[in-house]
Amino acid sequence: MTTAPDIPRQIEADPIAQRYARGWHCLGLSQDFRDGQPHQVLAFGTKLVVWEDSDGELRVLDAFCRHMGGDLSQGTVKDGNIACPFHDWRWGGDGRCKQIPYSRRVPLRARTSAWPTLDQDGMLFVWNDPQGNPPIAEQAIPKIPGASSDEWTDWHWYSIKIDGSNCREIVDNVVDMAHFFYVHYSMPTYFKNIFEGHVATQVMNGTDRGDVAVPSDDGSTLLAVKSTASYFGPSFMIDDLVYEYDTGNFESILINCHYPVDTDSFVLQYGIIVKKPQGVSDEYASASAATMGDFIKTGFEQDVAIWQNKARIDNPLLCEEDGPVYQLRRWYQQFYTDVDAVLPEMTERFEFELDMTRPAEAWSQEVAENIARAAENESV
Amino acid sequence: MGAPIAPVTVRPDVRLETAPMSPVSCDTCGAAVEARKSSWEQTSIQWHAADVERCLERRAAMPPRIEGTLFAGCVSLRQALAKAVERGDLPVLADD
Ligand code: FES
Ligand SMILES: [Fe+2]
Repeated sequence: MTTAPDIPRQIEADPIAQRYARGWHCLGLSQDFRDGQPHQVLAFGTKLVVWEDSDGELRVLDAFCRHMGGDLSQGTVKDGNIACPFHDWRWGGDGRCKQIPYSRRVPLRARTSAWPTLDQDGMLFVWNDPQGNPPIAEQAIPKIPGASSDEWTDWHWYSIKIDGSNCREIVDNVVDMAHFFYVHYSMPTYFKNIFEGHVATQVMNGTDRGDVAVPSDDGSTLLAVKSTASYFGPSFMIDDLVYEYDTGNFESILINCHYPVDTDSFVLQYGIIVKKPQGVSDEYASASAATMGDFIKTGFEQDVAIWQNKARIDNPLLCEEDGPVYQLRRWYQQFYTDVDAVLPEMTERFEFELDMTRPAEAWSQEVAENIARAAENESV
Repeated sequence: MGAPIAPVTVRPDVRLETAPMSPVSCDTCGAAVEARKSSWEQTSIQWHAADVERCLERRAAMPPRIEGTLFAGCVSLRQALAKAVERGDLPVLADD
């Protein structure tokens, strides 16, 4: 054993950038914004207003009226525009002032920030970019198989505001193998991270941990859990999650997403849909999605307590068994960097694999065989 | 609108200080990567853009269930890594 100098290691934390990640952020289920009322969303260090216009499109503007600073989210929807509660200026979803009821002319510069939106698979997204550029086409959120199909349940959706924590903490989960054991009650046999471009993936295959029961409808036995979860951009993760029972598969899609309220709080949202098993009622399938969702909720609640009390640490001291925390953060940093300043190493492919299914002996043998075969081929 | 940007720096993995990554090439496509093995079971691979393009298996990969999900990894490269270990070109840190 080597002896290190007997000095305590210092935790380092760079100042948090007063900047929010570039990319699509899910604000929640679209249907929750479709009641004809303006909705206030605190996000990206500011206040937004969300409403449905007369074409049925969801629109997002800065909530502060460019006239005298009135709060549009306290206003009303009139003719599909948002009317300010202060002096009734009417703002369109495109960010332009459409009408000032007491004035004949709208001033030339009467234009506010309109946020690009995406309404897809029942969820509303906004595009944040501190540089003010339009959405990057390659970073579109993929369509979710099942989300618009009758063979799957509707979303069971959860939303929770986390105070006293920066949203980077939840992204760190991508590389945290150990949390599968503690949070998801499963025992990983295979774990892989892949970071490439704007996507960060975590593949996990595991078996039941044994001591904590995963919900099953009957007395069926869980054989394996297979999860492929990817962050598409800084904040929206799709997890293709399959529980394999001796009686058949339980297929689900889990969303894990967040948006920053400010640099020290965020809203964590997650949702689940499950494929309706053959021969069960819709109510039954929906109830099983809810059971699953509540089960996952317990896991997140445990995480939350950790995040709220932990220190921000930029120089984590890692052991060999830990996952690629530094490489994940390097990937994540691209979203806090101007587009033309993104370094190649932030987006270049990186793989981390932990494969417990191929013991060293079996592997050595396979390699020995390969080498023997290669030698044979050469001698032919 | 964005706050002034701090100079872009990236912190290197503390574990590389004592045990850096090693160069390995794929026997099939010639892609050169950097690899590191903490144990028999645990492997890290750093690719660079041009070598990702070379990988034949990646090119042939089936479209995934969720569009945009990534190529899981190259089997030929996995074999090349195993051979590099056998040759002693790629240390397995747990064996030290
Ligand atoms: S502040 Fe909005 S109309 Fe005057
Ligand atoms: Fe998780």
